[in-house]
Amino acid sequence: MTTAEAVRVRTYVQALNEALDLAMTRDPSVFLLGEDIGRMGGDFGVTRGLFDKFGAERVRDTPLSEAAIVGICVGAAMVGMRPVAEIMFADFLGECYDQLVNNAAKMHYMFDGQFKAPLVVRTAAGGGFGGGPHHSQSVEGWFMNVPGLVVVAPATPADAKGLLAASIENDNPVLFLEHKGLYRVKGDVPEGYYTTPLCRAAVRREGRDVTIVTAMKLVHDALAAAEVLAQEGIEAEVIDLRTVRPYDAETLVASVRKTGRAVVATEAPKMGGLAAELSATLSEECFGYLKAPVVRVSGLDTPIPFSVPLEKLILPGKDDILAGVRQTMQ
Amino acid sequence: MSIDIEVLMELYRDMSLVRAFELGLEREFKRGAVPGMLHIGVGQEATQAALAAHLRADDAFFPDHRCHGLNALAEEKHGGEGRRIMAELFGRATGVSGGKGGSLHSANPAVGNFGDNAIEGSFMVTVLGVALAWKMRGEPRVACCVIGDGTVGRGEFHESLNMAKIWQLPVLYACVNNGYAISTPVAASHASGDIVDMARGYGFPCKQVDGNDIEVAYAAVQEAVAHIRAGNGPYFLEFKTWRWQGIFSGEFRPAEEVRYWKEDHDPLKLARQALSARGVTGADLDRVDAEVKADVESWIQFSKDSPMPEAAKAVADVYVGWEVKPR
Ligand SMILES: Cc1ncc(C[n+]2csc(CCOP(=O)(O)OP(=O)(O)O)c2C)c(N)n1
Ligand SMILES: [Mg+2]
Repeated sequence: MTTAEAVRVRTYVQALNEALDLAMTRDPSVFLLGEDIGRMGGDFGVTRGLFDKFGAERVRDTPLSEAAIVGICVGAAMVGMRPVAEIMFADFLGECYDQLVNNAAKMHYMFDGQFKAPLVVRTAAGGGFGGGPHHSQSVEGWFMNVPGLVVVAPATPADAKGLLAASIENDNPVLFLEHKGLYRVKGDVPEGYYTTPLCRAAVRREGRDVTIVTAMKLVHDALAAAEVLAQEGIEAEVIDLRTVRPYDAETLVASVRKTGRAVVATEAPKMGGLAAELSATLSEECFGYLKAPVVRVSGLDTPIPFSVPLEKLILPGKDDILAGVRQTMQ
Repeated sequence: MSIDIEVLMELYRDMSLVRAFELGLEREFKRGAVPGMLHIGVGQEATQAALAAHLRADDAFFPDHRCHGLNALAEEKHGGEGRRIMAELFGRATGVSGGKGGSLHSANPAVGNFGDNAIEGSFMVTVLGVALAWKMRGEPRVACCVIGDGTVGRGEFHESLNMAKIWQLPVLYACVNNGYAISTPVAASHASGDIVDMARGYGFPCKQVDGNDIEVAYAAVQEAVAHIRAGNGPYFLEFKTWRWQGIFSGEFRPAEEVRYWKEDHDPLKLARQALSARGVTGADLDRVDAEVKADVESWIQFSKDSPMPEAAKAVADVYVGWEVKPR
């Protein structure tokens, strides 16, 4: 972190808004684009007030043209701008997948370093609010296999602000995942501009018996689970990944070598996703230290239904993490 | 429409260079010296020469898969080296993309070449971002994308033209309608055989021209670029042309059609006729042909003599500022 100032309580949405405001104030090459982000301030209010402050040139409403939104980011970034796009829901990233995966992520490599793509695509991810199959998905797995792309996923308001500022400053293309279940969460947020380093996990709680590795909303569930476990005499270490790709393997491996047990918790479907990747790395790097197999706690391998009780069955939470930890402790 | 004879001679030289480049390249490809895939632009030289004549080093163009010639012309005109386009096709370290891009990803921003994208037409939306940045910064530059008729089928075509219009962006769409996308004729894949009709609905100037008549193509690009540079927003040009090469060798094109385009409407033949009507001798033009051919042969030799990229390049430049481990 740079520049620590007074700390106040802010929501995750307010923290994101502050990061955008301060980044735009500092750097004239930063501009925003997306659907209804102008006067309306975005579907979740993240850009509220910025249109009035910075004007229509730098806070640009677009048509429903997701490929163009991200394509514009790539083109503008190629000539020195730092665009920040909002894709209303992460489920819509399929509409601009090509621009992210084949263009933004490969630009620097395939043209031998002649271009950079310093852009940020912010999007609302995650379920738990009855959004149904196309407004609830956790999409990090879609992007795990994309060299050149950075995927950032903050869990707290302070990180939301610092990581967004760092993502805007960074010269690589960043997909910035904002969990919808966190938007109203409050926390301490330093005033003023600061950045939180990318690719560094945070140890949210120290413990000696088991490591819980997770991100976004499940960080809070993991911390709640750790409280319950503490009452049973089990001390869980909770690691918040913060950057999902490239992730901080060093911190994870050190923790699991210490505790000898690992639970990897993600909201996305189990197969082939972030949890699979983390558990493979932990098995490779910590095999001799492990007292039990790595356990994955994930969403079921299904789409996400609209029905509230059905959705609850599919998405993991505190109880599933507890069950996962108990499995490793047997 | 009368272009200065010197200009017309230069355009002829440029077209001849494009043809020599492509034929030399094709020969080496068939010999196995050029890896990967190859799409050559023989038959489409006039479009490329016309664009190269009016785009400046500080403009941007996104070339399509048949634009090796345009890429080489931009190098030669703006202080670069045409031979580095050839070397890129050979995958050599001396290529414009260090050998990492190849035919479909040759870029050199110093001469305005923003690189092809093998996802056909993806740059129809990328070009908007370049144009927007320039507009926001008040820089009177032109951002051009070259797209085939088949590429017009992409959804990005609509997103791009629509946003270029609503934001009045300085974009030149150069649509090279050569009649086919691989084996599929335009009439079988598009609502209109004239692509320009599909563009007109977006409400900015659109023009269809004979892409094989260099004088017509030159004047059309001149007018479009002047319009855009003056801050009047986007412009769409459809060049009617025909490619000699099929993407794959199997061809479905009627014999009479092949004869017409190769015999009666070859852009180089047409230019020779125009020049001889203005007193240039066949011998003068043959000399030009021989000169550019010699250049191209030297570029091929340069490419063959150039080193392959160093092993460290395999993991270089994945991220800015972070390393990826070699095996
Ligand atoms: C998105 C995408 N779809 C398909 C292809 C495969 N492909 C390469 S060239 C081509 C035909 C393109 O036709 P056109 O745009 O008319 O260009 P031409 O080859 O005729 O110059 C196709 C289908 C591709 N590279 N990208
Ligand atoms: Mg075609």
